[in-house]
Amino acid sequence: MLTKKEVEKIAELARLELDEREKEKFAEDLSSVIGYIQKLSEVNVEKVEPMTGGTNLESITRMDDEIKTISDSQMRGQILNASPNREGDYFKVPSILE
Amino acid sequence: MNLEKLTIKEAHKLLEEKEITSVELVEAHFDEIKKRDGDIHAFLSLNKEEALETAEKVDERISRGEPIEMLAGIPVAIKDNILIKGAKTTAASKILENYIAPYDATVIKKLKEEEAIFIGKTNMDEFAMGSSTENSAFGPTKNPVDLERVPGGSSGGSATAVKAGFCVYALGSDTGGSIRQPAGFCGAVGFKPTYGAVSRHGLIAVASSLDQIGPIARNVDDAAAVFEAIRGADELDSTSVSVDWQNYWDSSLDIKEIKIGIPREYFIHGLNPEIEKNIKSVISKLEKEGAKIEEISLPYNEWALATYYIIMPAEVSANLARFDGIKYGYSQISNLSAEGGQISNLLDVYLKTRGEGFGAEVRRRIMLGTYILSAGYYDAYYSRAQRVRRLIKQDFDRAFEKVDAIITPTSPTTAFKFGEKTQKPLSMYLADVYTVSVNLAGVPGISIPAREVNGLPVGLQLIGKNFDDVKLLQIAKIVEQLTKEII
Repeated sequence: MLTKKEVEKIAELARLELDEREKEKFAEDLSSVIGYIQKLSEVNVEKVEPMTGGTNLESITRMDDEIKTISDSQMRGQILNASPNREGDYFKVPSILE
Repeated sequence: MNLEKLTIKEAHKLLEEKEITSVELVEAHFDEIKKRDGDIHAFLSLNKEEALETAEKVDERISRGEPIEMLAGIPVAIKDNILIKGAKTTAASKILENYIAPYDATVIKKLKEEEAIFIGKTNMDEFAMGSSTENSAFGPTKNPVDLERVPGGSSGGSATAVKAGFCVYALGSDTGGSIRQPAGFCGAVGFKPTYGAVSRHGLIAVASSLDQIGPIARNVDDAAAVFEAIRGADELDSTSVSVDWQNYWDSSLDIKEIKIGIPREYFIHGLNPEIEKNIKSVISKLEKEGAKIEEISLPYNEWALATYYIIMPAEVSANLARFDGIKYGYSQISNLSAEGGQISNLLDVYLKTRGEGFGAEVRRRIMLGTYILSAGYYDAYYSRAQRVRRLIKQDFDRAFEKVDAIITPTSPTTAFKFGEKTQKPLSMYLADVYTVSVNLAGVPGISIPAREVNGLPVGLQLIGKNFDDVKLLQIAKIVEQLTKEII
């Protein structure tokens, strides 16, 4: 069973603000799911390689080609316009250094 | 003529023969939406003006005697986590409530080349997390077969739109059953292609190693027609694969040549006995008609759901980190005040934006993933789940050395009532028990309607070998035919 304190810690790491009532509900919900996934400890995974993706493809690369998408000026404008706090062509964030 | 119940093939033929116009076809679907979507709520946004403009263009081409593509002039609904340039794309989340897509998803680009008609964006569980469409930030969708019941999820709006006659076919996305389960609950055909067969570029990511786009349609032929239009390698999705696809239409698969596997692990605890009976009657019919039926074993299936509920939330927690209130979407940054306010620094912007922008299930899964990936737990959960995932994949590899396809139920129950599972997330997760292993293994899966139970649709799932999608569709067509004879 996760404690309220543990839930607070996870929420902070996940950058989610929760209210007091939610903390209790999430402690209960997460505990029941974590209880269920413990089931995997029954499986012997010795000498089994992890499957890290949906295909067997490895390290696919392509040529950089800025002509294709990035220089689409209309798209560039739309992407910048979607920002909730913009200055010129920059996304503006609060300063993080004193 | 009932224009809102046509299949793609029927509509295409009528358009070509000038029996109907694309404008009439589009109008008929919008009329139906106007009449019934107030109750059902399949759509989050509609696009009538542009739809009619495209329809007029297609009609002009037809009147000039030009040949048209299979999907030209035919109305399609798109799940609201797939980007259409210039259209609102919300993923049914408050955090993207006003987001306008700056580009087309690759599947949309491909459909535009065919001059498909986009009539609207469909409702879903927020960020495709859920099995009932109850997790939409904009209210649930109702099952058109029984308005007191859920349509399944997460592509519930797409399945509903097809069943209700609001579109001829729809696109959905499937991470753990999100195309197949709602198709099963609504009585439609839902196809999840092999992972990598269809580009994911422009699909809002949930769990990148599991997500795949696919069609929901009225029959297997239609699903195949859409699959042929949207598949293919794409340099903007480095997990998409180049395949020399065979043609669905020019083959002649003989029922006597197909071998079907019945996994004993799928016909045990928790399965509604009436559903079991219906699936088994299809199997008997197949055997009677000459298909070879073999009992098989997928021993690691027992751990598929637990594996899924580790890998999926882990990927979710990473993918959804991008919603930070800085680049796009809902943000609390405008409430920033230097001194004394509730939001005084960057961390506060993140916490408030994400705390308020995401619904309960999304936050639950982000936190679950964060926990699983955190120091001290990574090996016990994530690393172990990746290894069990390989064992699950090897189960399928072994099975497909012996059989061409596997038959299972799509879901253990028929559509459930609203609120039945929302209080206990784990009970909702169990709705995916027959569908998640397909995504873990990357194999293709399709749900087709079997005989109903108490007036509610039942889905029969067929699973195929990686990149044998066309063969799977051909087998599905044979099973679809037999199923109709039983019904």
